[in-house]
Amino acid sequence: MAPLLELQDFHYYYGNIHTVKGINMKVDEGEMVTIIGANGAGKTTTLQAISGLKEAKGIRGKILFNGKEIQGLSGHRIAAMGLCQVLEGRHVFSKLTVEENLMTGAYLRKDTKNIKDDLKDIYRRFPRLEERRTQLAGTLSGGEQQMLAIGRALINKPKMMLLDEPSLGLAPVIIKEVFKAIREINKEGVTVLFVEQNSKIALNTANRGYVMQVGEVAMEGYCKDLLEDEEVKKAYLGG
Amino acid sequence: MRMLIQLIITGLALGGVYSLISMGYSLIYKASGLMTFAQGDILTVGAFLGLTFYRFLKLPYIVALLLTMAVAFIIGFLLEKGVIRKLLNKNVNAIYIVLATIAVSYIFQNGAQAIWSSKVEYFPSVFSTDSVAVLGVNVQPESLLCIGASMICMILLHFFMTKTRIGTSMRAAAMDSMAAESCGINVSLNTGITWGIAAGIAAIGGIFIGPMYGVYVTLGSKLGTKGFAGAVMGGYGNMYGAMVGGLLLGLLETLVAGYISSELRNLFAYIILIIFLFVKPTGIFNEQAIQDV
Repeated sequence: MAPLLELQDFHYYYGNIHTVKGINMKVDEGEMVTIIGANGAGKTTTLQAISGLKEAKGIRGKILFNGKEIQGLSGHRIAAMGLCQVLEGRHVFSKLTVEENLMTGAYLRKDTKNIKDDLKDIYRRFPRLEERRTQLAGTLSGGEQQMLAIGRALINKPKMMLLDEPSLGLAPVIIKEVFKAIREINKEGVTVLFVEQNSKIALNTANRGYVMQVGEVAMEGYCKDLLEDEEVKKAYLGG
Repeated sequence: MRMLIQLIITGLALGGVYSLISMGYSLIYKASGLMTFAQGDILTVGAFLGLTFYRFLKLPYIVALLLTMAVAFIIGFLLEKGVIRKLLNKNVNAIYIVLATIAVSYIFQNGAQAIWSSKVEYFPSVFSTDSVAVLGVNVQPESLLCIGASMICMILLHFFMTKTRIGTSMRAAAMDSMAAESCGINVSLNTGITWGIAAGIAAIGGIFIGPMYGVYVTLGSKLGTKGFAGAVMGGYGNMYGAMVGGLLLGLLETLVAGYISSELRNLFAYIILIIFLFVKPTGIFNEQAIQDV
């Protein structure tokens, strides 16, 4: 079976600066895959280019989603195909309420009747969001904002969810909670690809992983193997 | 007392028109992060369009109003898509885009002169009576229409922006365009719609004020700078601030004109603008937009 998401010889240029230098990646339906690597390795650029949030003229190579070429399409069209991204730094709409944020996530949905049920579902998953549903999103804690950002992507009923640094700036106990939610979402059938600087939690959560180094894929494989790899241990897991 | 009531009504009517312009400035600033100087001259175009539909084509007033709004919406939308977005895509400095809106404003102004007239055209009265009594004072019914209609526009805009899906998505896109795009919102389309709405409400301002001031090519350019001042007073970028700032400016300047001297009204209005810029640049609604730049 063809992979759900595939990058074929993908490059990205910021003007003349070659930041991603021809990478190949595959994510099968139902998988949970992570991309780890140091700052500036090109992880976020890759993720944002997949979602159509980068300037199309910087992209070379192919990005295939569900068998269709999507490189160069604008972000809202890619979101409409069921590929949704939870952005780095959460990017909640700070002056909209929690519920308005979630409803904005449901912007594309035509089956308005079912949205109410899905809203309930998200509140069941993240009870703290229900408590704060009329609060402005900007007043939430970092962890709550991350849950809101995930909920906002989830309510669009994505086939695949991309997450950029879901642990960024969060307390360890909150990180656990967030990753528990991501695992559940994956179990319920949403394919997940996430970028993470916290390599330990990333490799312990995902099935497979890619290690990016200065714009290239340096290593790839099952997370259990990467966790045992001496180089990965030394460079990313603190010896 | 009679004079005060008279002045308040005249002031609110003028202020209502300022507000319609101010709201456009603020909506555009929020959606695009840009200033435009075309708002006033879009009002002029709106006034001439209204004149065409109402006086020349003899359409019912409400039809003329809606048609004007629709045509102006399209003009605003095309202005964003055809000029602003094109320049943005070239990654030019924002100041060039502001400059382009100044050029566009003169194109509208001179275009209106070429298409319609360089004289002051009268806008036929909307009501059969010349004056109505309010609290014992005779006022032009059009000024009451102007107050009422601009209030209704503000309320409708408020509900549109807060209670509808598209309005909420427009606010979301203005706050964070990348996140909005990732939610499936077509941010570029949204921005075009915002410019269209801004043009639409400015244009109907031209129809409201036409019966009181007449219609001429520089009508809007004067009102446009006042609308800008109103937007700054309210808090540039804040829709509600624009409503309040515009009304307040219209009211204050009319009171100055009435009680002190009509020669001082513009002086007073711009001194207030300067005072706000110095003392309270975030305006009455404490909008942080200006500090962000």
